[in-house]
Amino acid sequence: MLILGIDTSCDDTSASVVEDGTKIISNIISNQTEIHKKYGGIVPELASRRHIEMIWPVVDEALNVAKVNLEDLSGIAVCYGPGLIGSLLVGCSFTKAICYSKRIPLVAVNHLEGHIFSSFLEEPSPSFPFLSLIVSGGHTCLYRVDGSGKYRELGRTRDDAAGEAYDKVSKLLGLGYPGGPAIDKLAQDGNPDAINFPRAYLPESFDFSFSGLKTAVLNYLKTAGVNSELQTSNSKLINDIAASFQAAVIDVLVRKTEWAIKKERVKQVVLTGGVAANSELRQKMREMGKEREVEIFIPPVSLCTDNAAMIAAAGYHHLKAGDIAGLDLNPKAYLLL
Amino acid sequence: MKKYISNSPDETKDIGFRLGKLLRIGDVVALYGQLGSGKTTMVKGIANAFGIEEREIVSASFTIITEYDSTPPFSHIDLYRIEKDSELDEIGFWEQLKGDDISVIEWAEKAERWLPDDVIKVRLRFTNNTVREIIIEGKNEKNWDNL
Repeated sequence: MLILGIDTSCDDTSASVVEDGTKIISNIISNQTEIHKKYGGIVPELASRRHIEMIWPVVDEALNVAKVNLEDLSGIAVCYGPGLIGSLLVGCSFTKAICYSKRIPLVAVNHLEGHIFSSFLEEPSPSFPFLSLIVSGGHTCLYRVDGSGKYRELGRTRDDAAGEAYDKVSKLLGLGYPGGPAIDKLAQDGNPDAINFPRAYLPESFDFSFSGLKTAVLNYLKTAGVNSELQTSNSKLINDIAASFQAAVIDVLVRKTEWAIKKERVKQVVLTGGVAANSELRQKMREMGKEREVEIFIPPVSLCTDNAAMIAAAGYHHLKAGDIAGLDLNPKAYLLL
Repeated sequence: MKKYISNSPDETKDIGFRLGKLLRIGDVVALYGQLGSGKTTMVKGIANAFGIEEREIVSASFTIITEYDSTPPFSHIDLYRIEKDSELDEIGFWEQLKGDDISVIEWAEKAERWLPDDVIKVRLRFTNNTVREIIIEGKNEKNWDNL
């Protein structure tokens, strides 16, 4: 069963052909980070306009590389939220038009569900039940997954997403966008114990909170009288701040996952989302897995970040269950799984 | 103009909740204050006055506009990423302010020229690491004595 997946939820336009929800035939992503770097964040106007310009070429390329025609598809799966509404609209409108004119079944996929299914696109893949920790610029949430369509949210962020904390702290430190790679790199040469930034463990729940950490970094910079000359000075202070901040984020993510493993008695964990590209997080999560004798699955970076293959993978299960969306499908910026 | 002192995030939410109780359909609240000053915390309090649970309100920096199906409808707008005026058009900012819901805008200075005349302005300032000064100005000021 061949499915074309389309994702335009944030800054990348992406299209992918996937067979039976597991085998990637093509996966094309218009990486827009180059454009966004200049503006210090995801600029919505650029994102929507670029999606409009990119969607045909990207879909064409996905079909060409896969050597399939629209007629060969069993369905087209599109991400309808959560995300930037203007960007989502482009993907949804485009997909609805194609499905209508070519009489192809339309499948609606929640972006977060896509992230969960990214783990089935590489061997070895997890088996149910497992925990799925999704950490990105827009999301930080933890699910128990018992099967396709069987998701139970254990917790999510109450304020900032982990990736958002990276971006905002990166800006405070005068570093570029995206903040994750910049901070990860500086942290390699820093002391994670240099500054004791707060960890919001919120022990009464599996929710997360990273807003206070961002404020703590700001207060530290003010109190220490540090300004944005930081990166040009020879001192290792910026490395220490980056390492200490990163340690605070990762400690909470790993520790809370560990608590959830104990409570839910699962033996497998999937870590995904853009922040799952972070080398330190990958390593710390694997160490914890080893200690707890739990298998940790982390998709390759190209499947952790936003991509359409994961949308096609999740869409496959919807289609198999006969879950076809109507042409009145509307994107939603705020959408729970 | 009314001035309040908040000693904790809970107090900021409280002030937001009581302000929220005074809002009517069509009201626009503009929030000003640097990173970490408590803007999103304030939104949690305001939204709570419309039956939206605190946990449902998270940073909107990523999605920019988050709408809630409360009664009346509630829009949480965060202009942190906005760099230039034309982008306000792109995100549908104008449709947001057509007066059929309650709109709360973080980083409102990025849309300063286009805020309605009767906007309610809330400024949050760091006094120290935990204390914030909260200044509210705009219509219905006489109602705010007991916030």
